[in-house]
Amino acid sequence: MKIAILLSAGRHPVSGAAVLPRLEAQAIRLAAGLGQHIGLHAGPEAAVVAEALGQGLAHIQHAALPEEADPVPALATCLAALAPDLVLAGRRGQGGAETGIVPYAVADRLGYPLIPDIIAAAPGEEAGTLHLDQSLGRGARRRVTIRGPVVATVHPDAPASFAYAYGQARRGVIEPVVGALAPHPAPVPAVEERPYRRRPKLVKGAPAGSSAAERLKAATGEAGPASSGRLLVRPDPDEAAREILAHLRRIGVLAAPRDPR
Amino acid sequence: MTGLASLTTVFPGLVWAMAALALVQASRRAALWRLGTAASVAWLDGLAKLPRRYLVDVHHVVARDAYASRMHAVVAGGLLAASVLTALAILPPLGGFRPYWVLVAAAFGVTAAGSLLVGARRYPEKQKRLSAGRFQILPVLLVAYAVGGTVTALLLAFGGADGLLAPLALALAAAGGLGLAFEVRHGPMRHAAAGALHLVAHPRPGRFEGRPDTALQALDLDAPRLGSEVPADFAWNRLLSYDACVSCGRCEVACPAFAAGQPLNPKRLIQDLVAGFSPSEPAYAGAPYPGGRAAEGARGPLARLIGPDARIHPDTLWSCTTCRACVEECPMMIEHVDAVVALRRHQTLERGSLPEKAVGPVTDLRQTGDPGGRPLAARTDFAAGLDLPPISVRGEAAVLLWLGEGAYDLRYGRTLRALVRLLREAGVDFAVLGPEERDTGDLARRLGDEATFQALARANVATLARYRFERIVTADPHALHTLRNEYPAFGGCYTVVHHTALLLDLIRAGRLKPGRLPDLSVTYHDPCYLARYNGETEAPRAVLDAIGVNRAEMTRSGRRAMCCGGGGGAPVSDVPGERRIPDLRMAQAAETDAGIVAVACPSCTAMLEGVPDRKAEIRDIAELLLQAVEAGR
Ligand code: SF4
Ligand code: SF4
Repeated sequence: MKIAILLSAGRHPVSGAAVLPRLEAQAIRLAAGLGQHIGLHAGPEAAVVAEALGQGLAHIQHAALPEEADPVPALATCLAALAPDLVLAGRRGQGGAETGIVPYAVADRLGYPLIPDIIAAAPGEEAGTLHLDQSLGRGARRRVTIRGPVVATVHPDAPASFAYAYGQARRGVIEPVVGALAPHPAPVPAVEERPYRRRPKLVKGAPAGSSAAERLKAATGEAGPASSGRLLVRPDPDEAAREILAHLRRIGVLAAPRDPR
Repeated sequence: MTGLASLTTVFPGLVWAMAALALVQASRRAALWRLGTAASVAWLDGLAKLPRRYLVDVHHVVARDAYASRMHAVVAGGLLAASVLTALAILPPLGGFRPYWVLVAAAFGVTAAGSLLVGARRYPEKQKRLSAGRFQILPVLLVAYAVGGTVTALLLAFGGADGLLAPLALALAAAGGLGLAFEVRHGPMRHAAAGALHLVAHPRPGRFEGRPDTALQALDLDAPRLGSEVPADFAWNRLLSYDACVSCGRCEVACPAFAAGQPLNPKRLIQDLVAGFSPSEPAYAGAPYPGGRAAEGARGPLARLIGPDARIHPDTLWSCTTCRACVEECPMMIEHVDAVVALRRHQTLERGSLPEKAVGPVTDLRQTGDPGGRPLAARTDFAAGLDLPPISVRGEAAVLLWLGEGAYDLRYGRTLRALVRLLREAGVDFAVLGPEERDTGDLARRLGDEATFQALARANVATLARYRFERIVTADPHALHTLRNEYPAFGGCYTVVHHTALLLDLIRAGRLKPGRLPDLSVTYHDPCYLARYNGETEAPRAVLDAIGVNRAEMTRSGRRAMCCGGGGGAPVSDVPGERRIPDLRMAQAAETDAGIVAVACPSCTAMLEGVPDRKAEIRDIAELLLQAVEAGR
């Protein structure tokens, strides 16, 4: 199996030093358990992702782009040439210019499906298929079996990354991608940048003015919409359909049934 | 007289044959040492200093066990004297001179007495720390050689050399003597040959010049292979040094990890290294790694040493606190910590196989300059409300106060606040680096991450170069050791003073006027990195005496103190054992009945204060002194 890992130029949240984003380091570990893996970075400097060479990647392809250029077309071109079975990326950027949108844009351009938030990957029983375990939060997981090629983003709950090995980093190779990579102008309208401010979490369905205990219950899912449903395990299709209809009516998507005449 | 004439030749001839056999056996051994890498050795200097190194430095360590010291003096002295005298008798004037043989008989008699002392340590039951195996035959060989030699010499002195007794005695001496010479390759007598050569070619000759030569040697990060993976990666004189091990087990008794039931035994570790490069080594016959598994894996100069399936389990490697207690106790002057760090360097730098829990702190060190990943600017938060001037304001100060990692710790912040207030009280002109202070990299270095250490060292040296100060004062012995002894290799040479030494100076100069606290009973716990690594044991005690506390000593104190378990990255590696090292140390402190255990190191503070059900309080010397100064107002 061939795996490509998208690497971004991250920054450490505390020190601001150029570092390999944690999620991408975790992605390398996931890939190492699967087969031949290679890193891919599009941006002005290759040095910023060199740290990945010490964390389990032996080989990185670097597509040199001018500052501010859109990395997506370059990444898509490289990926099309590499033809991997799986493309791994972090679920969000870490302080650098990249954002969590990149894997979606790449998948879209290549026409690959995207499976978000995976914490484990294994080859499926059938050749060419993959089992990807998604984290749904709060410990819940879902196994997806899919036929590659596929893009997947890595969730922080994936196994911790390998320790950095200086000796391996020395031996790793960063190979410039040769060939015409016409720089595309920045794709999106210039975004406004503001310093990060922690925002209060909106708790949906939190009863305003209720007690702290009730708000906590609402936030942790022991009350409110998450707890009001019914869990049906392998239901009869008719019953399942009735349940779905009832739910859609409860939340006002469908009109109430007309009175049977 | 033919019998006599031939015996005067045959007997010395036996000793010459022994010497020849020993030489053959030693050179077979030397072929193994040559598998190691090159090392620069000052041969002439070492040779000239050999007698002094042996008689002064080795004896200093051996003498800690009075019995062993006497035993060794008698048996080794006797053996050497008797053998040399006998060998000289090959010269006809001596061999034919009967009173000469009286002298020889006396020397053999002394050897015989010594051999009995050797035997008494092993029979009927051997002392626990000693190894069995081939070492158990040693007294037998010695007695045979000594008794056979005594009788032969007596016969030569007083006649009767033609009798039936002479061949019997000679045969006995030959069996013992040739046996001893044979043992130079695999047996107990190897320590004599390898030990002597090791003293000449010691990798840390500074040890014998009276200065603590304890800095880890900088690793060339451009070398094709980093650290030691296989025995052949060690320098040849290191391999030689491991061969000098006499399996006395003194290191094992001193090792805190061994006492705590963690899978480490320094004697076994050295013997595993020996067995690693010597595939035909007889089986190890001493105490095992506590709770560890039997040795496995391939042997040979190119066989991997560390691994779950190799000779040494990684847990053994990561249990070491780098406390140097083993080095301090080793009569053969072996450098265990250097071996541990060389092996760790390979694991960390080439394989990235640090213990799982250590990965986080080492990564944070690399990426943020602090093992906790905390903002450097938060280091001075402990001093809220105190005047703690950053050196960048004036660019200079008499004293640069190095805060260290302890500053982030709530408990230890109390100590630093006490120290800052004492400095103010004494009118010391001091400043801190503030947000410019990065970790010294001590943790990374002990865990084998030399790359991160060197990066931090270079960054700190560059920062320090921008400011003017007379000396650096720190309350952290780990920082002290690194700044004082290990930064010079990176171009940073500073006068580094431990806070206890500075405080003592201030008291002696009359700038601090402490009252007396006679009601306190205190025992002082020596930090390894201050006492053993830097030989400083007196200043903290003198401060305690100056404030008039009731001071009691623990059984293990000063340079022979036991570690708190906090060094060498052991707390982050966290290899499980049967007990915890700090618990053991606090139990030793409890034997003194002192109500306070005085400490002088942030790691010791944290480790000892973390002991459950502890009866004694943990107070830093600075805190006690501040209390005395306030009482004296
Ligand atoms: S340095 Fe300390 S912990 Fe390590 S082997 Fe020696 S005595 Fe044991
Ligand atoms: S290493 Fe030193 S202290 Fe330990 S057993 Fe060998 S000779 Fe004795």
